Amino acid sequence: MPWLPVLLGLPALGAIGACFFPKSAESAVRAWTMFISLATFVFSVAMLKVFDFNDAGMQFVFDKAWIPGLNASFTLGVDGISLLLIILTTFLMPVIFLSSFSSITKKVKEFCVVMLFLQTGMIGAFLSLDIFLFYVFWEIMLIPMYLLIGIWGGKRRHYASIKFVLYTMVGSLLMLVAIFYLYAQHGNMTGEYTTKLSELLDINAMISPTAQIWCFAAFALAFAIKVPLFPLHTWLPDAHVEAPTVGSVVLAGVLLKLGIYGFIRFAMPLFPYGAAVLAPWIAWLSVIGIVYGAFVAFAQSDVKKLVAYSSVSHLGFCMLGLFSLTAIGIEGSIFAMVSHGLTTSGLFLAIGVVYERRHTRELSEFGGLWTKMPIFAGLFLICTFGSAGLPGMSGFIGEFLTILGTFISGDGFPASWPHYLNKPMLLAAIAATGVIFGAVYLLYMFQKMMLGPLDNEKNQDLKDINTRELFVFLPLVAMIFVMGVFPRPFLKIMEPSVKSFITDYKSKLEISTKVADEPKTFALRGQR
Amino acid sequence: MNNPLKMLDFTLLSPVTALVVTGLLLVIGESFLNGKNRSFLSIVGIVGCAAAMGFCWWVSTKLGQGKETLFSGMLVANKTSMFLTGLFSASTIFALLMGTAHQDAHNWKVGEYYGLMVLATSGMAILAMANDLVTVFIGIEAMSLAVYAMVASRRKDRKSAEGGLKYFLMGAFATGFLLYGMALLYGATGKTQLDDIGVQLAADPTSPIILVSVFMLIVAFGFKIAAFPFHMWTPDAYEGAPSPVTAYMAAAVKAAAVAGLMRIFLDTLGGDVIPFGRLGWTTIFGTLAAITMTVGNLGALAQQNIKRMLAYSSVSHAGVILVGIVATGVTPTGTGLTSVLYYLAAYSVTTMGAFAVIVYIGDTNRERVMLSDWHGFGAAHPLAAMAMTICLLSLGGMPPTAGFYGKFSVFRAALEAYDNQLLWLVVVGVINSMISIYYYLRIVTAMYFREPNGEFSPLKRSGVILAMVVATILVLQMGITPGCWLDIIGQ
Repeated sequence: MPWLPVLLGLPALGAIGACFFPKSAESAVRAWTMFISLATFVFSVAMLKVFDFNDAGMQFVFDKAWIPGLNASFTLGVDGISLLLIILTTFLMPVIFLSSFSSITKKVKEFCVVMLFLQTGMIGAFLSLDIFLFYVFWEIMLIPMYLLIGIWGGKRRHYASIKFVLYTMVGSLLMLVAIFYLYAQHGNMTGEYTTKLSELLDINAMISPTAQIWCFAAFALAFAIKVPLFPLHTWLPDAHVEAPTVGSVVLAGVLLKLGIYGFIRFAMPLFPYGAAVLAPWIAWLSVIGIVYGAFVAFAQSDVKKLVAYSSVSHLGFCMLGLFSLTAIGIEGSIFAMVSHGLTTSGLFLAIGVVYERRHTRELSEFGGLWTKMPIFAGLFLICTFGSAGLPGMSGFIGEFLTILGTFISGDGFPASWPHYLNKPMLLAAIAATGVIFGAVYLLYMFQKMMLGPLDNEKNQDLKDINTRELFVFLPLVAMIFVMGVFPRPFLKIMEPSVKSFITDYKSKLEISTKVADEPKTFALRGQR
Repeated sequence: MNNPLKMLDFTLLSPVTALVVTGLLLVIGESFLNGKNRSFLSIVGIVGCAAAMGFCWWVSTKLGQGKETLFSGMLVANKTSMFLTGLFSASTIFALLMGTAHQDAHNWKVGEYYGLMVLATSGMAILAMANDLVTVFIGIEAMSLAVYAMVASRRKDRKSAEGGLKYFLMGAFATGFLLYGMALLYGATGKTQLDDIGVQLAADPTSPIILVSVFMLIVAFGFKIAAFPFHMWTPDAYEGAPSPVTAYMAAAVKAAAVAGLMRIFLDTLGGDVIPFGRLGWTTIFGTLAAITMTVGNLGALAQQNIKRMLAYSSVSHAGVILVGIVATGVTPTGTGLTSVLYYLAAYSVTTMGAFAVIVYIGDTNRERVMLSDWHGFGAAHPLAAMAMTICLLSLGGMPPTAGFYGKFSVFRAALEAYDNQLLWLVVVGVINSMISIYYYLRIVTAMYFREPNGEFSPLKRSGVILAMVVATILVLQMGITPGCWLDIIGQ
């Protein structure tokens, strides 16, 4: 069975199908989208049945020639890392649609089409094993997100939508130049031009060290903007605040993860030496991002902005874990991504619930909501704790593993390579303070909104969440617990892939380092 | 030189013959119909151009990868020239489809439009096939004179007259440069046939006369393709001309000028005849390309008038095309030429689609060309707005559209140049793509995110809708499966 084309085709066909609904049939088109997104989810979970958990390589590979002149191919495949993120995507989509029933009331049909296209783009980007194909999907995602912010967004949506697109474009276009370069290099070295990832990986160690650093920097810029890594995060608060709730959930839940996924799948394996040279820089930026994000989040009066900045902080952990270049760190990074996808989505949805009732997101407007909305408060609390990394919930495992990975980073690297992250202990220690700060601002937020006296008149007759909203939160909350208590199955899916990623990376790095050291050896010794 | 006329020559000339015959029929027909039944004229024109495309296909399959000179070496027929002729004819079909509806709505019932347009296309075809300085000149002038008149064809409109006059004066000036450059080239080599000139130059490429002549030719072609610093006429001419004519200028005239430029610079002064850099034109064109892209895009940023915006955008696209030409000149491989041809096709189709929507949206007697006129168009006419969005994204080079693959292949060809010497050009080009996205998205923003200022009364005429739909589908098809077009270009 061609699993992956079907997985990609389901939302695409769903989007095309949704175009044919009459404009007035809002509930019909909603039901259709709901059906499509659930079907995609069920399908992606069914893949787990066939998926071989011991195989580190790509599975369900689908390979078809696409553009003969370029030798681009339509290559799809999943390994443990991408499968986990795909399931996160397909899991969040029905939740998002369910929550949109009350929040999106104008242009419903267009909304459904845009969302299904967005889902196609995201799944496509996770599945692509051809760099050209990946780039196409990576860019395609921009347009639906742009429309999502621009049409259904808040007051400053024009500004935020354009800023989002331009910011992302800057990075991705320079990545395109690096892709060209790589493509030309592969052609020069092997006489065969191709954009297939598996074949490009064969030459990665042979690319000159300088070129590797530049190319990695170009890729890293594209992905770091998406993550976002400090100081490239400035588009994120604008986009989050102006986007509708569903847009924020997609953005935080999935789109940001694509940045980190891009590092794992493309940037680091393709340019091992470049990654190694720049790793300390990125690690330090991540740590700054962790602390900076937490501090800025604490200073916000708008709840949505607070959660947006918390994303900057949390994704700093993911980046740090990834660039620790240890199996534990990377597993932690991926785990933290999935967990962040669940908890932050929960927080954004909770803010959406409150916003729909009160049309404000100012912290000072709230207080004591617990008495009026007890069920909601409970669910909100779980999401908050999950995000803050309370043991027993998903956030804890990810942050713990990334810090652990950072701590031991530098082990098992080529002897010629200096100590890995320069000061792993210091980095880990600063990152650990980020956990504390995270708890501070998240609990502060919860306290301001939910606890204390109910002193605002306008909050007196707030209604607790209804059944539909309950069903929006239940799956998220359940998964936050499940991932916190039984992390093993989730780690097991990605473990072989992560291990082989690290092994490959280290062996390639060794070759590259030798190439880099060879001509300079004498000069360096002379200086010393 | 001394081979007599052969039957084969006429076979190979069949696309041009079809265009000329159609053009003459239209001119004569117009004088009998006296401006009454212009949709009939447009149908005749479309049939003629379709026939020309058919002939191109036929000749192209006949030639295969080979090349055939005709009329004692005045013209040359190969796959490239046939592809370009077919492309010009296709652009003409699009412009003819839009023409009648636009004339009715905006009250410029000029029957000469049809005849002039098809005759201009025949000039383009000659230019694409030119193998002699004389035929290059004839082709360019046959095309330009017709287009000058077409720009000014809305006689009662001041802007149309202004645009036409400006275009004509500047164009005449550029023609002078062209002729002078050709004369010097002839003086230095004693030949008029492009092949012979190439051979002659390969033996002695350093004569100062040739440098002067190359300079003159750069000025002339820079004007025709609207490259910096010869682009000043573009916004006025594009704004003043009726929209179908603007579309025709942006797509076909620019492509034809590029075709002529390729004949002279790639096949005569560069390519495999003279090794890279001897005449230095690649360096000049490389610099011009970088400035042209930047100036075009910066100019477009501030525009409130969509036609002027697209005029500046066409300037920046000329810059991208120059990148492709420089890449081909630096490393004469097949990729560069293919990429330029593909880019021309992608750009022509996309421009036609965008202008079809501009014609479609247009009110009677007043074109809706200001950005504020487009507010709320997305909600009122979702399909047309979607077509416009797709075309704009293609102009901006976003996947999965024709423009993306076009830009991708041009930049890729540039990076294949020896020793990464064109890397900087690619970086400039890529940054420019980013700038361009901003102003293309301004139109999208106006269509989708703003509240309408009033009612829309679009031109629901079958020709316009057909042009819009076909162009949009082609834009997507060329972006998703470019393979079949690459086969047709087939280098």
